Amino acid sequence: MRRTALCAVAFCILTGAALAPALAEGGFDWPLPDWMPRPPVPENNAMSAAKVELGRHLFYDSRLSGDGTVACASCHDQARAFTDGRETAVGIHATQGALNAPGLANVAYLPVNAWANPHMTSLEFQALVPLFGEAPEEMGAAGQEARLFAALAADPYYATAFGDAFPDRPAPDLFTVTRALAAFQRSLMSFDSPYDRFKYGGDLDALSAAAKRGEQLFFDHRFECYHCHQGVLFTDNFQREDSPWAETGFHNTGLYADYPAKAPGRIEFTGRAEDAGVFRTPSLRNVAVTAPYMHDGSIPDLRGVLAHYAKGGREGHAMQDGMIVGFDATEDEIADIIAFLESLTDEGFLTDPAHADPWPEDHPATVNRADP
Amino acid sequence: MESRMKKLAILAACAATPGLADMPVTINFAAEIAGQPFACGTPYAGLGSTGAEVQGTDFRLYVSDVAMVAADGTRVPVALSETDWQHAGVALLDFEDGSAGCANGTTPLNTALTGTVAAAEYTGLSFKVGVPFEMNHGDPTMAPSPLNLTAMFWNWRGGYKFVRIDMVPTAGKQEGPKGWFLHLGSTMCDSAGKTDAPASPCANPNLMEVTLDGFDPATGTVVIDPAPVVAEADLLVNAPETSPGCMSFPGDADCTTVMARLGLPYGDIPAAAQMLIRAR
Repeated sequence: MRRTALCAVAFCILTGAALAPALAEGGFDWPLPDWMPRPPVPENNAMSAAKVELGRHLFYDSRLSGDGTVACASCHDQARAFTDGRETAVGIHATQGALNAPGLANVAYLPVNAWANPHMTSLEFQALVPLFGEAPEEMGAAGQEARLFAALAADPYYATAFGDAFPDRPAPDLFTVTRALAAFQRSLMSFDSPYDRFKYGGDLDALSAAAKRGEQLFFDHRFECYHCHQGVLFTDNFQREDSPWAETGFHNTGLYADYPAKAPGRIEFTGRAEDAGVFRTPSLRNVAVTAPYMHDGSIPDLRGVLAHYAKGGREGHAMQDGMIVGFDATEDEIADIIAFLESLTDEGFLTDPAHADPWPEDHPATVNRADP
Repeated sequence: MESRMKKLAILAACAATPGLADMPVTINFAAEIAGQPFACGTPYAGLGSTGAEVQGTDFRLYVSDVAMVAADGTRVPVALSETDWQHAGVALLDFEDGSAGCANGTTPLNTALTGTVAAAEYTGLSFKVGVPFEMNHGDPTMAPSPLNLTAMFWNWRGGYKFVRIDMVPTAGKQEGPKGWFLHLGSTMCDSAGKTDAPASPCANPNLMEVTLDGFDPATGTVVIDPAPVVAEADLLVNAPETSPGCMSFPGDADCTTVMARLGLPYGDIPAAAQMLIRAR
């Protein structure tokens, strides 16, 4: 008897059977491999196919910016795993930002979505920063919301799409726009790299010999890469569906002896001395296509990043993380680690039409859009 | 002290009970720059340490915790009416009409607070400039007016801009990227958990406390003028790698002469008497 009950519980856990019907109602589920749990979803923003599709249109629509030239996609390019190839992001009126545009793959699992700001705990809330932030201006739409929402409402696509996604609140407003953008970003899953096929799919030929050697070095105590770049996302920031708590990892990597005032780290928001130069660990999935690197894009390539860590921090900082102690490595070892990092690229994610620009050519949504 | 607190509590209880001899109260405000009435697009000369000429491009602020002050010093809360401009004791004062350079503004103006207060003789007015902590860190996408204006969001720092007075030198951009902006808001907002909203007040709440003795709402006007606040700041330059003007952030050289004159401490610099707001 007891054994039967236990087995039933185990069955539910293993299959996720209790959850499937609820998710199916909205017509959306993630195409995740069996080994990957679903991400958490906020109570007031259930996923639906209609919402994700609306969010995708908004993501690529530069009419969301103050002058109609900057879309989310202007700094988040799918081919670069939703980064932009620049050292720091460029906003409206060619405003130079202070931070490197972060990639968006698997952001649904990240408890904090910002390089340094610990208060950015939902994608819904975070969307307000690029849209309306003024220091620096990114999309520069502060104070423009009435005009912006009216413009969206006048578009034939949005005239029906908002109602499909939000039957109880069928118009563009702060709530619906930020929820749809978050739902689209929450749909961006990337778990089909050669390394995934090797590690989880049992395809032992998916990795080159160099990448296999690099994997051993990556997870070796001599290099200590994996202490921060750990787990399925290769970052110590993680939260899944039904997580009892969120794991967050922010570190000072000794990039500067004195971090510049424009990007001082988490101290900017907490005022705590120990937060100087402290930034969130980025995921390494698709890292080979997201150059340049670090929170400010100040290292142009992976070889440079490894040189920074080999040195024990480019400049070194009084409070840098204790795991960053430096190492000696041969040229061959560095090449192997880079081969391993390159095996984390999910080509399908970079070209998946479900994440691509949905607008027809020369549409008003995109005709003035600056692309990276 | 204790008896005074008791009296205050009794008075507050009375004020909060509708029907008990409340009287309507309207408190009028005026926005000026260097003594001249504020209007979008108007130039104002002789500002700051270098006598800059500027155009005002925004002039808005949040006010909360409004009270009339009795002769014995007790504060009697004013119950602000619920309107598009006033919600749960917080009001937005708005002196820009969206014209000329005020491109990020809204057409309607709001230059007065309206509400009720327990009927009594009062000798002064007291209020805070800013949004109280409990309301400053919610989700603005679900907040009612006037806490839903994107131009007043301060989310990337946590909360709202309490004061937004934007000035652009008419001589054109010099060092400053766009102008000299006075933005006041809370900074250094730590939280207990690494992924929680701030649960305890920020290290620098930056809520301004204003008390105006001898103020009579029937005849007086509360005047807001940033000129004395920026008197020692050079509005033609911006400290490198900092936000344009003074946006309350620690370590901005553009703020060092400014924050004390808002009645607020700034780093090692102690607070002085606030010079932004006076009675007339």
